[in-house]
Amino acid sequence: MKKKSGAKLFSANIINKFMHRQESSIILALAVYIIFVSSVNSTFISSGNIFNIFRSSGFALISITGMTLVLITAGLDLSVGSVLALGGVVSGMVAQAGLPIPLALLSGVAVGSAIGCINGLIIVGLRIPPLIVTLGMQYAARGLVSVITKGVPVYPLPKSFTAMEQVKLFGIIPTVVVVALSIAVIFHIILGHTPFGRSVYALGGNEEAALISGINTRKTKFNVYVITSSLAGLAGVFMAARLGSGEAAAGTGYELTVICGSIIGGTSVLGGTGTILGAVLGGLFMEILTNSLTLMHISVYWQQLVVGTILILAVMLDQYKRDLMLKHSIRGNTQTEKAQKKLTYES
Amino acid sequence: MRAENSVLTVKKMTKRFQGTTALKEVSMELFNQEILAIMGENGAGKSTLMKILSGLYPGSETEGSIFLHGEEVLFESPIDSENMGIAMIYQELNLELDLSVTENICLGRLPLNKVGLIDWQKAEVIAVEALERLNLTLDMAATVRNLSPSMQQLICIARALVRNPSILILDEPTSVLTSSETDMLMEIINHLKEQGMACIYISHKLDEVYKLCDRIVILRDGYYISQYLKQEGYDSERIIEDMIGRKLNVMYPSIEKTIGEEVLRIEELKVPHTSAYGKDIIEDVSFNLHRGEILGLCGLVGSGRSETINAIFGSIPRTNGKIIIEGKEVNINSTRDAMRNGVGLLTEDRKKNGFIGTMSISHNMTLTILEKIKKLFLIDRKKESEKARYFFEKLSIKAPGLETLISSLSGGNQQKVILSKWLLTDLKILMLDEPTRGIDVGSKSEIYKIINNLAKEGVSIIVISSEISELLAICDRFVVLGHGVVQTELSKEDASEMAILRASSNT
Ligand SMILES: Nc1ncnc2c1ncn2[C@@H]1O[C@H](COP(=O)(O)OP(=O)(O)OP(=O)(O)O)[C@@H](O)[C@H]1O
Ligand SMILES: [Mg+2]
Repeated sequence: MKKKSGAKLFSANIINKFMHRQESSIILALAVYIIFVSSVNSTFISSGNIFNIFRSSGFALISITGMTLVLITAGLDLSVGSVLALGGVVSGMVAQAGLPIPLALLSGVAVGSAIGCINGLIIVGLRIPPLIVTLGMQYAARGLVSVITKGVPVYPLPKSFTAMEQVKLFGIIPTVVVVALSIAVIFHIILGHTPFGRSVYALGGNEEAALISGINTRKTKFNVYVITSSLAGLAGVFMAARLGSGEAAAGTGYELTVICGSIIGGTSVLGGTGTILGAVLGGLFMEILTNSLTLMHISVYWQQLVVGTILILAVMLDQYKRDLMLKHSIRGNTQTEKAQKKLTYES
Repeated sequence: MRAENSVLTVKKMTKRFQGTTALKEVSMELFNQEILAIMGENGAGKSTLMKILSGLYPGSETEGSIFLHGEEVLFESPIDSENMGIAMIYQELNLELDLSVTENICLGRLPLNKVGLIDWQKAEVIAVEALERLNLTLDMAATVRNLSPSMQQLICIARALVRNPSILILDEPTSVLTSSETDMLMEIINHLKEQGMACIYISHKLDEVYKLCDRIVILRDGYYISQYLKQEGYDSERIIEDMIGRKLNVMYPSIEKTIGEEVLRIEELKVPHTSAYGKDIIEDVSFNLHRGEILGLCGLVGSGRSETINAIFGSIPRTNGKIIIEGKEVNINSTRDAMRNGVGLLTEDRKKNGFIGTMSISHNMTLTILEKIKKLFLIDRKKESEKARYFFEKLSIKAPGLETLISSLSGGNQQKVILSKWLLTDLKILMLDEPTRGIDVGSKSEIYKIINNLAKEGVSIIVISSEISELLAICDRFVVLGHGVVQTELSKEDASEMAILRASSNT
């Protein structure tokens, strides 16, 4: 009798713990959706399709890690799509010039870092909102790509360069997935276990309190933009390798996929909360969504509608969670101010 | 006894939160024209009970019933309770920081003109009248953000009064008020009582409660414990015992210590006003601080006490002044500079820049020592929770655990967390702005003990407090500010409440 209730308690405890994890909503959503789609369409769970899903989600996952850091600091980076194109084009040109492949890869990342530095310097130094700065950079970087390429794709690329994307770990796992997951693991550790990670959360939770506590808020902020752009540059290198060409139009709309993925994975748009695991699952969810809709012969137009709707739902859920938190403490902290405004007006 | 006089009755109220039960079958009554005090330790459930009465916690999420004038009511939102004549002043200021004084006071009931637009003239008249009742004249168009916490609190009170409530609930209204403002507030409450209003009053300040309140109800750990009547005379010892569940031996512990050489010297400090452009709040202030000394920084509100220590900490700019630490002039232009030089500051406004609401208790506590609990690159989790647990237990913070989100704590417990954040550092100089704000009697004496021990170990401390009795008990020396300069310096022997007050008001 006693034992039985003990076991019951134990399982209830596990469920309780699970529900309290930040990632629980996205894991449930993913599971339900996968079950649904695979019951409707069996090709969905064929090994070929699963391979495809992983392979194409890899590109978004590389940047999702960085974007999650930015979002946790209550910032935003809209320039990642353009930086991806820039990274691809620059690395492609370096490879075409006959320089070693590692150098080509590095140059793609470096050009991303450079853009990130500019973003960071303007945001931190001149205190201009990240939305404006990175929107400007989205155009500027895309412009730069066109100037460099004069509209002509960087093509053909050396075999050794495109081979980078075709190597498979254990013969099945694409390189880009290996890279994306390694990056995710590294940043999971950084975010959860280092002073820098703690600063990122503190910055998004209450910037003034973080500053008063002796946290270098300016450096932290600068760093997250550099990290995000560098990763976008890296994604660009892999994209160029995949396409076999450095395209000026690569990565259009990429920033939205990345931001959506992170938010669906539980990162709060108001800053202060979010995890890499959640964001990666969110990114995967985005890819599974587009993949499955295509499999079910639903047109691209409808797909956009669905993705947009899901994003809004995810933010609504986030808002709802915060309202619950808000009830605990009237005007608990800066991020709930917007929600509170609503409350005070109503009352 | 006087059942016919009862305006508000609470029966068997229970409120559960994730992981805790904040109220356990609490029953209480409020009588006509009565000022009732609710007292208890931090986390006893006082604010929770009040938030139920104001409808902030919906009636459907509680167990128990509320009767107004004998009739059962169900409050689903603050609007419901407001319509029934209940007005509440929350423990945490809930103003719209970027709106004007007028807008804040009239929020939710801005008067409309014939066309259906807001009648700003009328709104301003209403707001000005409300402030006049509090003897306050303010720039009505100023945004609330730039006002001092005490002004903001008064605006909250004005906002409640505009609604002409029949029951007024005040949750620690005086924790940010000065003594003269407190006196004025008490006068107003007494006046309203004569006009027929009933009032529930929460405070950790015993003298205030004894003076103002007709009856005291004590809660502990969410339970109703006892009540005391004014006409029977209040017995502090018993009241405190009921609150903290044990006898409090000494409120102000004394410790043998030696005061060493000079550690900090401030010369000709000049600090611009944070809101009034072109004016200086501190014109020319110089003083020093010795090793192991506890210095009380006194003065009226607006005398620039907080601005002085904020300028020393580098969190607001100074236009002139040398900061000399251990004989060397140091360059402090940011909070990080200050901490690098061994200076820390516990700020006054815990919500604005004290805690990070999205983080847990332990993460909030260790923000100041992240670099010190690092092993190679990673934070040493074990060391972190050891450090945090020490003060968690020492200050008896009421929460399910170290991982509890700080925003779910009661006000006093939040204060304990951010105080711990600074107690954990091993800085040479600690500046504490209202360290015991909102903290209960038992924990206060624990905090005095900790501060004294720090001083004994050689830490130099500057304290600002609106409670002069507290300052008198723990400080070794006093610097009184007024009109932007140091009015006088008093040694422990010369200091008395009168002497400090006289010097502050410069009469
Ligand atoms: N939203 C919440 N979620 C979880 N626990 C909560 C929440 N709100 C309050 N509590 C808990 O309920 C208890 C009572 O809190 P309450 O705010 O009523 O205390 P209080 O008596 O007002 O204390 P103080 O003197 O510090 O203001 C505390 O232990 C607190 O941690
Ligand atoms: Mg309270």
